[in-house]
Amino acid sequence: MIETPHVDWLALAPTLALLATSGITLLGAVLVPRAGERAFAVVVSLGGYLASAVLAAVVYDRSADASAVVVESMTRDRLGALAAILIALTGLVVTLVAAGDGRRSHVGEFYALLAAATAGMVLFVSAGNLMTMFLALEWFSISLYVLCALDTHRRESLEAGLKYLIVGSFGSGILLFGCALVYGATGELGFQAIQEATGADDPLFVTGMAMILAGLAFKVSAAPFHMWTPDVYEGAPTTVTAYMSAATKVAALVLMLRILVTAFPEQAEIWSVAVAVLAVCSLAIGNLAAIAQRDVKRLLAYSSVSHAGFLLIAIAANNPDGGKALLYYLIPYSAASVGAFAVVAAREREQGRAVTLDSLAGLGWERPFLGVCMWWFMLSLAGFPLTGGFLGKLFVFSAAYEAGWWWLVVIGVLATALSLAYYLNVVRALYMRSGQAPATGAVVATGGSPPRDRLLDTAVGAALVVTVGSFFFVQPLVDLASDAVAALPF
Amino acid sequence: MSGPGIPWYLAVAALLFSIGVAGVLLRRSPLIVLLSLEIMLNAANLAFVGFSRLFGEMDGQVFALAVMAVAAAEVCVGLGLIVAMARRNLALDVDTLTELRG
Repeated sequence: MIETPHVDWLALAPTLALLATSGITLLGAVLVPRAGERAFAVVVSLGGYLASAVLAAVVYDRSADASAVVVESMTRDRLGALAAILIALTGLVVTLVAAGDGRRSHVGEFYALLAAATAGMVLFVSAGNLMTMFLALEWFSISLYVLCALDTHRRESLEAGLKYLIVGSFGSGILLFGCALVYGATGELGFQAIQEATGADDPLFVTGMAMILAGLAFKVSAAPFHMWTPDVYEGAPTTVTAYMSAATKVAALVLMLRILVTAFPEQAEIWSVAVAVLAVCSLAIGNLAAIAQRDVKRLLAYSSVSHAGFLLIAIAANNPDGGKALLYYLIPYSAASVGAFAVVAAREREQGRAVTLDSLAGLGWERPFLGVCMWWFMLSLAGFPLTGGFLGKLFVFSAAYEAGWWWLVVIGVLATALSLAYYLNVVRALYMRSGQAPATGAVVATGGSPPRDRLLDTAVGAALVVTVGSFFFVQPLVDLASDAVAALPF
Repeated sequence: MSGPGIPWYLAVAALLFSIGVAGVLLRRSPLIVLLSLEIMLNAANLAFVGFSRLFGEMDGQVFALAVMAVAAAEVCVGLGLIVAMARRNLALDVDTLTELRG
């Protein structure tokens, strides 16, 4: 009789709920008649994401003390649970955005892959050893490669998929070799066990750590590992871009914080400098390149690179305040990012072509609701008061200052000032009257604009509520974040 | 323990990894690039199995088995994409994938 390990099903429940969602939507793609395929997939997905978020909230509630589950391959703690809630809700909002797209093929597959990617991310953030980390990383990455290339009729989509596959696999190859070196230096795979096994600054060990950090930096899209980001964000279907910009960033950054603090605390002097350098590169490259962009998706892609820089400052601080700032910042950032891409998706559907700053002109007048929302998202990303983005940046800077990184704070403030140029440029474009007559081809159908997409409006509204609400209800959110960070051994 | 010592396994693994990295960065055919990615993953596998033998534990070998499955999944998606591109008569050359830039 083989002894089976004890499995904590509650800790796995958020992942399993999403896996079930994925399976059911995939079955629906085969069994449900074509007319009802989309409605079925959307309803099942919404239910699945909601169930997963609720289960993650239950895990949060019942895991005041962190514990290792399933033979220490996973950690059940509030950090993972909070990140899982955020990721599942991102999936929910993206499903609402995607419900109205004109997709005619691969409808069921789209929702199944989205749920599968979310399931992988939910497992990834609570990984407790190198194997779970690598497998969960590949789990959501492979789903995302396919999602990027899902619009097979568009050349750009295929190109984005192949580019993401090559660069993403390159990153995970580096990560895996780093895992092998760390395993060789310590003989352990678990994060906790790695920390207990070390003590010496073994070159093998430090090289392994650096390679793991580089591999994760590819997923975070931190410069200089960001070169895939603008191309993939531009080419992928816009709903997938919205999802990647928020969920992948949450997952990769939370895991980066977890592994660095749990497994490598004794090398903190080395990795905090490395993370600070990544942050500075991301801030500089992201902001400077964004200014030159005309395509809104590329602009937002570079903006996400620069936000990776701000979030990495919080990790470099290496103190509980930094962790708290990271988790808080991710909430308004995810909301504003998904919301902004949703508005871009709406414009893209209306006009049937890529959205540039020129084709954005007049959106604020034609669609007042979307215009106002986009305006707030841009202000939040830029860090204006009355939006969560402002407090997020404030917390990040104060954590970094407390840790003695004053020059990092200076660079962060300069980057914020620089970022105003392109965020306000988008706002300006929204309220510009378009110069040319609307009769350019089939842009506007006779009888006015296409009907409003209620689900998309709901999603954008929800993103706006979170973006603004995270400013006014900051204390409860910060309490949640600080309870979550208490699970880490700072 | 007979046979070469652990430093040799590590040296071969590092060499394979470098070959893989060079292949991804320098070659132009997406098929060769995929092949090089596989070489990178298998270099890590070799290191895992070597270290696993050194420590006399099985977890490294289990990891290597799991990585093989992942590598197969990854290459499936990659080949699928290449077939989709070939069907649309797109040039199979990573240097000409320049539709997206700026």
